Amino acid sequence: MPILEVKGLRKSFGTVKAVEGISFTVEAGEVFTIIGPNGAGKTTTLEMIEGLQAPDAGTISINGMDWSKNAEQIKYIIGVQPQSGAMFDLLSVEENLDLFAAFYPHSKQAAEVLEMINLTEHRDKRLKSLSGGQRQRLAIGLAMISDPQIIFLDEPTTGLDPQARRNIWDIVLKLKSLGKTTILTTHYMEEAEKLSDRVCIVDQGRIITVDTPAKLIDQLTKEREVRLSFLDGEEAAIATELVAQEQPTVVRTSREGASLKLWSVQPEETLYFVFGFTKEKGYRVEQVSIREMSLEDVFIAFTGKEWRD
Amino acid sequence: MSNGKQLSKLFGAQIKMMFREKQVWFWNLFFPIILMVIFMVIFGGDGGSEFKAKIAVVKSNANSTSNMLEDYLHKVPVFEWKSEQVVSKEQADTWIKDKDVDAVVVLPETEEATALELIVNKENEKSANTQAIRGILDQFIQQSNYAVANVQPTFKLEMSAVSNGSEDLNYVDFLLTGMIALAVAQGGLFGMVDMVEMRRKGLLKRLRMTPVKMGLFGVGGMLVRFVLGIVQIVILAVIGVFGFGANLHLDFPTLIVGFFVGALAFNALGYFFSSFSKSIEAYMGMANIASFLMMFLSGIFFPTSGFPEWLVPVSEVLPLTYFVNGIRDGMVYGSGIATSEFWTGIGILGIWGIIAFALGVLIFRKSKVEVR
Repeated sequence: MPILEVKGLRKSFGTVKAVEGISFTVEAGEVFTIIGPNGAGKTTTLEMIEGLQAPDAGTISINGMDWSKNAEQIKYIIGVQPQSGAMFDLLSVEENLDLFAAFYPHSKQAAEVLEMINLTEHRDKRLKSLSGGQRQRLAIGLAMISDPQIIFLDEPTTGLDPQARRNIWDIVLKLKSLGKTTILTTHYMEEAEKLSDRVCIVDQGRIITVDTPAKLIDQLTKEREVRLSFLDGEEAAIATELVAQEQPTVVRTSREGASLKLWSVQPEETLYFVFGFTKEKGYRVEQVSIREMSLEDVFIAFTGKEWRD
Repeated sequence: MSNGKQLSKLFGAQIKMMFREKQVWFWNLFFPIILMVIFMVIFGGDGGSEFKAKIAVVKSNANSTSNMLEDYLHKVPVFEWKSEQVVSKEQADTWIKDKDVDAVVVLPETEEATALELIVNKENEKSANTQAIRGILDQFIQQSNYAVANVQPTFKLEMSAVSNGSEDLNYVDFLLTGMIALAVAQGGLFGMVDMVEMRRKGLLKRLRMTPVKMGLFGVGGMLVRFVLGIVQIVILAVIGVFGFGANLHLDFPTLIVGFFVGALAFNALGYFFSSFSKSIEAYMGMANIASFLMMFLSGIFFPTSGFPEWLVPVSEVLPLTYFVNGIRDGMVYGSGIATSEFWTGIGILGIWGIIAFALGVLIFRKSKVEVR
């Protein structure tokens, strides 16, 4: 049985349709990421699952339970880090954890959570003296204090610097190793690829596709982009482009000065051939790369829209 | 965790938050202390200073009547003459305009004239000083009439001040208890600013995602406010008694009932304000208006008996009127718990509290749906 099952969720605010029929299931132990541009309906979907908003239509089942009948029991098994990151600013890190622990019949020790979120040395600091990343880690810590089965993280890394983001990723990976189910939203594609077992791409209140990051990328066209740049100037690039175009594996090419881009369905073979040619001619290749396909390409392929962070 | 344990945790956390907030210290302790000290220094006095009025006497024509009145005036002990001699009208006018004297008495110009003229500065026309001088002169004229007619008055008025409880109730006691009531009331009116802030920051929403009982959270907060109220009462009373010689006649059952119901009622009002205030500014504005209106209309600084008639009904509906009466019953009158007046006041306070709380809950429930 899936730990979370969402069927046909719909929600409108006045005339704005925020969520238009979202369905998915999450298995226990998964890191499930909902990704999409701002205003795609991620937070609304999450808030409906967390019981903060009643859906206009659709059903939500959490570990076989339903908000209308088992609200209290559901609250015992979920932990939430909301986007607002609201906490008690006049209390210290540890006091916040202690207070939230008091809300639950069973909870973890504050010290254990402090260790996991790497805030042990800041335990006595008031919240106003914490950095953005430390605050966010505490918000996640508060979501973990009741030792819940499912943890919801709503854009935990938005607005953080790269190092602080990586620290949050570490926590998510730790949660995964503990067998927790994590529902994550983000608008960083890189994050979704790194952390998720499965990714659910949403746009304008609808699911575009759900799958593992690797499979989503695999579904894309088989062409890969190969980039080369030459030390001997334009001439070498022009000559290489001409011979490459005769290759059956090369779909198209483009050139700008001494840099050349080739789209190939078999990049290894294409490169083998190109290097044979450049060695014969004595052209010196300065840089070579095969661009990895990312979830951004998936988004672009599915929506035809540009991806913006 | 059991409810009791949870409540004690919630209480502990909230009391820390309360006393870590500098605003709480300022508005709930320093502000009422400063206000009380100022009022006591200005109006409290030591009660020992006697009334004195500075006057000048104008005599434009010496005749037997004016000479006699001048003589008598010299003998009135509360009149202090600006110049030992009578002065000209022009000189006296200048003094009046510059407020060098409180009043000028113009003696009759002719022997047959019977009118005595009193001149005061227009600004002071209605002041207590002018009223007193007038009263004294009235008395003086009457005495002079008796002297001329050679009769002995039959009736005499003897005045002494009394209150319904202790014999030594004075303005300092009145003001002290007024300030205590005001401080506790303001603690309630302004104290719910946390609710606005918690809602604005999404903390209320965050708490709704946990199984914590919001009712229990509220009870914890209320207990913290009771602690703050007790601290306010003790500090203000200590300053009043030791700094300004206030006399207290404590009646604990009365004080406890009055304080408990009053604190609940004013917190309920604060809660009601917080239910529809979208920002701290809006809330503070609302609390300020309520607090200022009541401060002056409920007999905190001065008794309401001096109010114009049309204002009395307004004063009679305000909760602070009943709260301050309850506190005075419990702290200086040493009476109360047995009187129906006390319980009527407590009843009215309670009604205010219940209505405000019910409206607050209703509005909070309604707005919850709109939270995004």
